[in-house]
Amino acid sequence: MINLNSNFVCDVECSSDEKAWQPWSRLNLFRNPFGELSIVERAELAVVDEDLLNQITLDRWTAIEFIADCGRGKSTRLHWLRSRLPNSSYVYLPEEGPVPAIPWGNPLMIDEAQRMNRRAKRSVFATGIPLILGTHQSLSRSLRRCGYEVRSIRIGRTNTASFIQKVLNRRIEASRCGDGPIPVVSSAEANRLFARFGSNVRSVEGYLYEQFQQRIADQMGQ
Amino acid sequence: MSKPKLSVELAEPDRIYRGGDTINGVVRVEVDKAIACNGLNVQAGWRTHGRGNVASKTGDSTTLFQGQWQAGESLEYPFELIALDWPPTYHGHYLNVDHYVDARAKIAWSFDPKASTAFQVSASHVPANVGAAATVPLVAKAFVGVIFAVIIAVFFTVGMGTVVGLGWIGVPFLLLPLSGMVFWFLKTWLPRFLLGKVECELAEQAVVPGGSLTGELVLKPRRSVAINGITMKLEGREKVVSGSGSNQTTHNHVFFENEETLREAGPLMPSSQLCLPIAMKVPDHAPLSLKLTSNELLWNLEVRIDIPRWPDWVKKIAFQVVPPGESVMSDPSEPVMPKTDTGAEPGITFEESVNHLWQVRGDADQRDRLVDAIAGLTFSVTAIIDRRLLYGGDHDANVYPKGHSVWAKFPNPELPLVLFVPHNMGEKFEQLGRQHWTGQATVVGWDRDHGRLQLAVEVQNGA
Repeated sequence: MINLNSNFVCDVECSSDEKAWQPWSRLNLFRNPFGELSIVERAELAVVDEDLLNQITLDRWTAIEFIADCGRGKSTRLHWLRSRLPNSSYVYLPEEGPVPAIPWGNPLMIDEAQRMNRRAKRSVFATGIPLILGTHQSLSRSLRRCGYEVRSIRIGRTNTASFIQKVLNRRIEASRCGDGPIPVVSSAEANRLFARFGSNVRSVEGYLYEQFQQRIADQMGQ
Repeated sequence: MSKPKLSVELAEPDRIYRGGDTINGVVRVEVDKAIACNGLNVQAGWRTHGRGNVASKTGDSTTLFQGQWQAGESLEYPFELIALDWPPTYHGHYLNVDHYVDARAKIAWSFDPKASTAFQVSASHVPANVGAAATVPLVAKAFVGVIFAVIIAVFFTVGMGTVVGLGWIGVPFLLLPLSGMVFWFLKTWLPRFLLGKVECELAEQAVVPGGSLTGELVLKPRRSVAINGITMKLEGREKVVSGSGSNQTTHNHVFFENEETLREAGPLMPSSQLCLPIAMKVPDHAPLSLKLTSNELLWNLEVRIDIPRWPDWVKKIAFQVVPPGESVMSDPSEPVMPKTDTGAEPGITFEESVNHLWQVRGDADQRDRLVDAIAGLTFSVTAIIDRRLLYGGDHDANVYPKGHSVWAKFPNPELPLVLFVPHNMGEKFEQLGRQHWTGQATVVGWDRDHGRLQLAVEVQNGA
């Protein structure tokens, strides 16, 4: 069990221009850093190797698939790429309900692509447009059968303790209220989080959300 | 690449604003390198933050500057904006609502520098759609009950048939309807067997912070029954949804709970009607009920008759906590709907329809009513072509056999459209690229999945 009261984040003094009605200003933040983000902000804060963009080819009949379990960063990569590829389009396939409309894009990004039904695969894979897929299972056989050249990238293995530390500190920095110190995740704490949650960044963020809530409640004396 | 640094400073940072109040302040810009600004925009709005998906709305906005900034300049741009009236500022565990003044400088070939500052808003009234969301109509409850009963009956029939046909292998098919019936028996029938029909209603569905929730519990026991007591519990809860699809999770947090005894333990006599007045004080600082996308703040009262060694009778009643001094009223920010009882609305143009739709696009009820009103009307339409669809979706509504679906938008406001194009005009739309298209089209509905107005492009035989 990780010790909540240990110095896993450095302590900060209340900022001098703290607004009494804003609870998070006590940590020089304007929100809990580990709450949900908008898609735009998620793309802005993604920790992704800039080299990934160079690996994307917009040639016809090429496909890249990111394969991983939940919480490893498939959607985050797709949103990050989407924000940098102006002609791209993105579609998320829900677990339940019908497959939604899939628009043209250069490239076309399909999140949870393993949920495509046969009709959707036939319609999309026949076009030869460049594809970037986020999926739990490889679709390379179907793609190759249609004539695609496929590159499969398994993600999650690069989610090391130092990577997690960088992700978490970027989230905290993005919630900064003003100049001055803010909480920081130390490398020792990142190691402990990695030992407990492995490469599942979403679980780490969920855990830290509660830790930060507890901490602000303690500071407010509730 | 260096960027100008922005900050927003309010004239009254600790003031509690109300909807319609003017927010005064300045945007400060510190320029470290000469740069062209394509627009320094400032806007008022609100956003949720916390565990739920982000809900937001933008309000009044203005452009403060457009032009060249010189290195070393330190500039101030005063602004005046109007505050939105709903929802009020709220800070909880999973749900937080804050109003902001957001400033953003549009810089070419660079991420736009931006700054925000929060301000407090207290509500003076509740929009009508919030009040309406509180209770589930009786008809809807009855409908759900009937559907549930039909499903149980079907499973039971199929299960019995399977048992008769397959023997023991069919038993699992019987378990679902049987467990449903056992649940109903325990939950509803057994308490009613002792207590008879129990009626429990609130006098008002809305109450102000510090006000009293009143109502009545009426029962006429069928037989003499000893109870452990009758209690009522007031509960305030945050309910937020994060993620979507398989990643969707609902988080609940009870932030307030208060239980009081309505009647102490003792016997209830048969055939004598018992009327117990319900009166429970809502806390002075109770947060107002909220119903925002993926983020809700709910209040309810649970009344429980505790019967020893027997299933309890329980009823949960939802109610609204509304601002003091005012009951539920219409949201003045809601646009006036065009009159729909005049049938074809001969004078209405496509642009007017789009403008109305643009204003109500966040309110499903109003939007659907408006779309129903203009469905079937043919307009002269101008649209900017966006992209064609590779796959129309499992619920493709295309009205033309082998037709094409094209995503487009109205030029201003940029209402998303989906154009259903006849097969013989596909080539023409393909060649249009991302240009303007003008032609005749008929409104056929609203695409809920993608938030788009659906239009069928008129067939051109010579195309």
